[in-house]
Amino acid sequence: MSGRAIDEGTLSLPWPTSRSRKRANADGLLLGVTLLLAFMGLVMVFSASAVMAGNRFHDSLFFLKRQMAWLALGFLVLHIVSRLDYTVWRKLALPILAVTAVLLILVLIPSLGLMIKGARRWLPLGPISVQPAEIVKLATVFYLAAFLAKGQDRVREFTSGLIPPLIVVGLLGGLILLQPDLGTVALIGLVAFGLLFLGGARISHLAGLVLVVVPLAAAFVLRSSYRRQRLMTFLDPWEDPSAAGFQVTQSFLAFGNGGLFGVGLGEGKQKLFFLPEAHTDFVLALVGEELGLIGTATIMALFGVLVFKGFQIAGRAREPFGRYLAMGITLLIACQVLFNAGVATGLLPTKGLTLPFVSYGGSSVVMSLLGVGILLNISRDRQGGRQKAGSGRGHGGVGLL
Amino acid sequence: MSQAKPYRGRSVVVAFVLVLGFGAVLSRLIDLQILQAAKLGEKAEQQHHKAAVVEGRRGGIYDRQGRILAMNMEVPSVYGVPTSVEHPGRVARDLTRVLPVRADEIERKLRQKRNFVWIARKLDPERGRRVESLSLRGIGTVIEGRRFYPKRPLLSHVLGFTGLDGHGLEGIERRYESTLRGHSRRVILQRDALGRTVFPKGLSELGPHSGNDISLTIDEVIQYVAEKELLDAVNTSGAKGGVVIVMEPTSGEVLAMAVNPRFDPNAVRSLSADSWRNRAVTDAYEPGSTLKIVIAAAALEEKLMTPSSMVFAENGRMLVANTVIHDHEKSGWLTFADVIRRSSNIGAVKIATRLGEERVHRYLRAFGFGERTEIDLPGETAGLVKSPEAWGERTLASIAIGQGIGVTAVQLATAVSAVANGGWLMKPYLVSAIRDQQGRLIAQVSPQVRRRPITAETARVLSKILESVVREGTGRRAAVPSYRVAGKTGTAQKYDLEANAYSSTRFVASFVGYVPARDPRLTIVVVIDEPQGEAWGGVVAAPVFRRVAEQVLPYLGISTHAPVELALVTTG
Repeated sequence: MSGRAIDEGTLSLPWPTSRSRKRANADGLLLGVTLLLAFMGLVMVFSASAVMAGNRFHDSLFFLKRQMAWLALGFLVLHIVSRLDYTVWRKLALPILAVTAVLLILVLIPSLGLMIKGARRWLPLGPISVQPAEIVKLATVFYLAAFLAKGQDRVREFTSGLIPPLIVVGLLGGLILLQPDLGTVALIGLVAFGLLFLGGARISHLAGLVLVVVPLAAAFVLRSSYRRQRLMTFLDPWEDPSAAGFQVTQSFLAFGNGGLFGVGLGEGKQKLFFLPEAHTDFVLALVGEELGLIGTATIMALFGVLVFKGFQIAGRAREPFGRYLAMGITLLIACQVLFNAGVATGLLPTKGLTLPFVSYGGSSVVMSLLGVGILLNISRDRQGGRQKAGSGRGHGGVGLL
Repeated sequence: MSQAKPYRGRSVVVAFVLVLGFGAVLSRLIDLQILQAAKLGEKAEQQHHKAAVVEGRRGGIYDRQGRILAMNMEVPSVYGVPTSVEHPGRVARDLTRVLPVRADEIERKLRQKRNFVWIARKLDPERGRRVESLSLRGIGTVIEGRRFYPKRPLLSHVLGFTGLDGHGLEGIERRYESTLRGHSRRVILQRDALGRTVFPKGLSELGPHSGNDISLTIDEVIQYVAEKELLDAVNTSGAKGGVVIVMEPTSGEVLAMAVNPRFDPNAVRSLSADSWRNRAVTDAYEPGSTLKIVIAAAALEEKLMTPSSMVFAENGRMLVANTVIHDHEKSGWLTFADVIRRSSNIGAVKIATRLGEERVHRYLRAFGFGERTEIDLPGETAGLVKSPEAWGERTLASIAIGQGIGVTAVQLATAVSAVANGGWLMKPYLVSAIRDQQGRLIAQVSPQVRRRPITAETARVLSKILESVVREGTGRRAAVPSYRVAGKTGTAQKYDLEANAYSSTRFVASFVGYVPARDPRLTIVVVIDEPQGEAWGGVVAAPVFRRVAEQVLPYLGISTHAPVELALVTTG
């Protein structure tokens, strides 16, 4: 097995690429799409929260100011990370994983973790609070990319190839379930499944995994009354005008009220008191009401371009770690967008996942932009570009990596 | 070799799955925003009508001692949910037995295609209970705030009142609307377990959304005394009405502002707008001789006169620009002090003539006439002081005796307070503090100097002359035993618009003064409009001053003796 073989394999992509591969600048289109999404998010967060923030905090700019600060921090992180050789994440994969696990334990300790709406998800750090679950997403991707890149064929083996990542993802998932945050568990589970699939795991192994996990998940959901409630709500939201069904039906009304062209920016009525979380989980519904299908389709198209660029960058990456890292980040963003949009449109049961770049929320914004920063760095190291030291390494091994 | 192939093929599979996902979301968006848009939009529209506006509790109004003057009562309102009412006719007949609303009107409301209608608002608690005991489907009650003035007509012209929607329409209620008003909130009507529309629970616990409380400079006891004595004077003299203002001269704080006739702010709708007007600030009148205080102050300040300067009073008759000016008492040579003491018109005209138009006008303006005092009440008038360019040949003489000029009672109280406090023209005010529902101080008002029209020396000299007005001049009936009182009477003929001349039967009798004269604590202005029979200010208005002062001075614990001048003791 050699680096050359990998290079050849990625030469032919499933879609045609017209642009020259000789250039090694960071991907401008990816950055542009990200900026556009963040700007739309800022506008919508202000529109969604102005009235509510004015009532609650006597400052209608409350959320806008915070979101601007988080975006500034996020783009600074993006800038730094895009200039940082991405192979550093391979070296840091295990330390980051360990720190993340510690944070996930800390957040569960009642005196440390912040309980908001019945879930312990926030860890207060001075004036701000951090969601460890946001860090877990990237930490999992770092780990899996490093694992898959190290022992290329190992993943086909059950004990040395499949069991270690399953244990890691299973433990992290278990800790997150205790918060509880089912959405994030489903997200990292799906991304891990996708990466193992891309990494070459046997179809029979993966099928077996599905047969084990799905019944477990079903049992878990049906055991908890609030999750069962959410599921029932999802199946028929209109029949359940209580709190659970309320959000979803209000989201439908927002989309419907917007129609094709929307009622106009700032003119939405649903956000006033009908649509809870209009600035976070249900921001897409607000876009739907105020900017119509034009707005929602634009957002989905921008994410589509972003995901396409992610696939392209992964395909052109010089070495396996870069490729799996790029795919992992891309899958993370893609799945979260689909989960969020699916929930807002009633295709999926309520989960509590933000729309990356667009929703209000510090941890989410910074971690998503960090991911894009890594993608940008990988895009600089594409084939035909400059030679990178330390690329192409990869030897089989034992243990977690 | 081994790795590339599965990755390439499998990335196509992953991409395909993601394309499916995006496709599903997009088709769902098209479904919601195009295909179902009409239906959902209509539902959203309906839902927005399901919201009712609820007002937070309105702030209370208190006097300077914390005694309540305006408060909110929690009273029931009855609403209907037409979609839940099965037999509008029968329900309407049941309700009309309890509510003061006609059955056909209730039925009409209940037949509307709406989710929410008010049937009767702000009722007696008893009526609310009876509606609830009927337990009609689709009919419910909710608690709302109704304004209540527990002291009935007391201070009504200052307090003002609110309309049915709870907005201040007059007085402090109007001027401080944004302070007092609770924040209004839209509340979504929820469905309870039985599918009935109800207000959300905890509606009355709108704590942080309540309005702020206001503390007035008014003292309820002083206000009561002022209103009672004004009422007595108006009744015994058969007058049309009147005004009494009690002010603290050093600060401009209004301690009482009584206006007659009175009204009950709890039952306003039956009254004409005329009776709500706070004449102390909205109406200008011709002040008559009380204005001689300003002429005298100007002459002293300009050093044209000393108290002993001699003025010839023409033996009671003088011709000015073809008009005869009379004195009540015929006199020859008078001292300057005598001119004020006896209220000689001829003397005042001669002094004003020596001052000249420009200076008289300047001092009138300096004492705040012709401009609003900016007291915190709505509808204040600036009165009328024409500029000298617009004066005719008789104007100066008219103004010298308080005619041809329009002043308000509050302007006069402020101007006289400036003489009392050593020359400072203060801004009169009624609200001293604003507190939130937790009792935390939000704003505190402190006295504000507008300007200084005269020096302390002029004020001191003039004060002595005004003391003699009460001791031995026209204001003897204002004298309060064992206190020094300074003041000036005024008797102005009212201008008869129909006859185009000053009336010989309709007067405004007034008295302005302060007490104790050497350390003034109270400025009192008394204005009696059209007293019948004896109409002299010294006869009709001065006794009101005395009776108010006589009760308020001991109430405030103001000593009968002039304060001992404390010598500065330096230690060391």
